[in-house]
Amino acid sequence: MIGTLLIASLLAQARPAEVDKCLACHGTASEIRLNSGEVLNLRIDAETFSRSSHMRKLACTDCHASLKNATGMHPVQRFDTRREYTIAFSDACQKCHFTNYKESLDGVHRARIDAGRMEAAVCSDCHGAHEIGPPGEPRSRVSDTCATCHARIAQEYTRSVHGQGVLSGNEDMPVCTDCHHAHDIADPRKAGFRLRSPQICAECHTDAKRMAKYKLSTGVLRTYFSDFHGATVKLQAGRAGEVAAVALCTDCHGAHNVTKVSDPHSPVLKSNLLATCQKCHQGAKADFPAAWLSHVEPSATRAPLVYLVKLLYRFLIPFMIGGLALQVILHLWRIVVNR
Amino acid sequence: MRDIVRFSVRQRAEHASVMVLFTVLVITGMPQKYYDAAFSGTLVHLMGGVGATRLIHRVAGVLFALTIVAHLGVAIWQVATRRLSQLAIVPRRQDYLDALATLRWYLGLSKQKPLFDRYDYRQKFEYWGMVAGSMIMVATGIVLLFPVVIGSLLPGQLIPAAQVAHSMEGLMAFLVVIVWHIYNAHLNPDVFPFDWSIFNGKISRHRMIEEHPLELARIEGVPVESIVPKPETPASPGKQPVETPAG
Repeated sequence: MIGTLLIASLLAQARPAEVDKCLACHGTASEIRLNSGEVLNLRIDAETFSRSSHMRKLACTDCHASLKNATGMHPVQRFDTRREYTIAFSDACQKCHFTNYKESLDGVHRARIDAGRMEAAVCSDCHGAHEIGPPGEPRSRVSDTCATCHARIAQEYTRSVHGQGVLSGNEDMPVCTDCHHAHDIADPRKAGFRLRSPQICAECHTDAKRMAKYKLSTGVLRTYFSDFHGATVKLQAGRAGEVAAVALCTDCHGAHNVTKVSDPHSPVLKSNLLATCQKCHQGAKADFPAAWLSHVEPSATRAPLVYLVKLLYRFLIPFMIGGLALQVILHLWRIVVNR
Repeated sequence: MRDIVRFSVRQRAEHASVMVLFTVLVITGMPQKYYDAAFSGTLVHLMGGVGATRLIHRVAGVLFALTIVAHLGVAIWQVATRRLSQLAIVPRRQDYLDALATLRWYLGLSKQKPLFDRYDYRQKFEYWGMVAGSMIMVATGIVLLFPVVIGSLLPGQLIPAAQVAHSMEGLMAFLVVIVWHIYNAHLNPDVFPFDWSIFNGKISRHRMIEEHPLELARIEGVPVESIVPKPETPASPGKQPVETPAG
C-alpha cells in the first residue's frame, strides 16, 4: 500500500506539469460525434499514459503541437472521420523518430494509403498512441501486432517452425519484421522483394554459429545460386522491371508456413518433392526431382554423374588448353630460331 | 603469284555461320555461367534481361545445331553417293607421324618440317574437336531446353550433369578458340594479321608450298620434289586421297 503510494507519487512528480493541465478536461469521459457519425472518446486514461514509453519524456503538446501555448479551451480541430484524424496525426512522430518515419514513406503501407486505401497501417496502428511501449518485448508481440490486420498469415506463421520457435522464446527465430522490416516494408509481391528474398533467408541461414545449433547447412545459398534457379535470380538482381519465372527459397520451402525439411508436411520432403516441382514444371514425372541436387555439392556418393562430369573437365580443360598453348609457344620459338 | 581456290562457297558459308553463332552463344552463354561476375549483370541487362538473353542463346543454339546437322548431312551424303570415296579431313596414320615430325622440327631435331596434304594434323584436330564439342553442346543443350521431357524418359540426374557438361565444354571451346584458333588464323606470323582464305576461298601459291605442298603437287600434277626444294629427309607421305571435297 505504501509502496504503491510511493510509486504513484514518484510518477506524479515526474509527470510534466502540462499533462495535468490537459487531464483536467481529458481525464474525464467526454465524447464528441464526428461528421461521419462516429463517436470519439476524448478521455485519456492517466494510468495507461503513465505506463507508456513517452511518459516522463514528453508532454502532450510535444505531439499535439498545434495546441502548444493554448489556454483554456483550445481551438477545435476538424476531422470528418476517426481514420482521417489518425492518419493526419501520424506525421507528428517524425519530430523525434525521423529515420523510422522516412523509412515508412518507402513502405508498402504508406503506398497503400497514398493509393486511397485508408485502412493501411500508420504509426499508431502498430505502436499505439498514449499507451505506446517497446514494440518487440516480448518478441512474439511483433507478430501479434501484425496479426491485427494480417490474421490469416499470422495464423500460418504461428504454426511454422519459425513461429513455434518464437512462441517458445527462441531468440534465433525470426519474427515478421526480421524478414519484412518494420518501417520500410517492401511489397512482397513485387520483383524487388522477390529477387532479394534469398538474401533475407540467408541472413540467418548462412550464419554458421546459429545454424550449427540446429545442425543446418550454411551452404544452402551457395548451392542455390550455383543452380539454374539461383543463377536466374542473380542475373536479375538489382534490375527492375523483369521477373523471369524462377523458384525462390519460399516457392519450394514455403514462406509463413515454412517447416523443418524433415517434417512430414514439408514440401521439400522427398515424397512431396515431385508435387512441389510440378507447381512450375507442369508434366514433370517420377524422376524429375532428381534434377535438383537438394543443396548438396555433387560427390562420389551424392550425384556421382554430375561429380564425374565436373572432375573430367577439371582435368581435360587444363590438359587441352595447356597442350595447345605449348604448341603455340614451340611454333613461335621455332620461327624466332629460324630467323 | 596466282591464287588457288581452297574453300567452296558452301564451306565459307558454314564457317561464317559457325563464327557468328559461336560468338552470339559465347556472349549470351558466359554471363549465365559466370552469373556472379560484374560483367554478367551488365551484359545481360544490355541484351534486355535474362529472359531475352536466354531466348537469343536458344535461337542461336538451334541455328548452330542446324548448321552442324547440315554440314554432317552433306558429308555423309557425299560419301554415301560416292561423290567422295574418302574425306580429306579423316585422320590417318600419317597425321600422327606428322605430329611427331613437327615436334622434332620445333625442337630442332630435324631440319625440315613435314610436308602436309590438304589438311594438316592440327587442322584435323581442330575440325574433329569442333565436331565432337558441337555434338556435346547440342546434346546437352537439348537436355537443358526440355528438362521435363528428358526427366520423364531418363534419370533426372542427367539434367544437372548436362548443365555442368554444357557449361564446361562451352568454356573449353571458348578457350580453344582464344588460344588455338586466334593464333592459327591471326597471330601466327605466317598469316598475320588475318588469314582470309576461309572468307574469300583463296590461298596464295606461296602459302600452299609452305603449308600444303602435297596437295599443290597433286593439283599441278607434278612430283612434290619439284615444288619443295631441298628434300633432305623426304617425308614419305604414303598414299594420299586424290579427291578434294566437293564444293
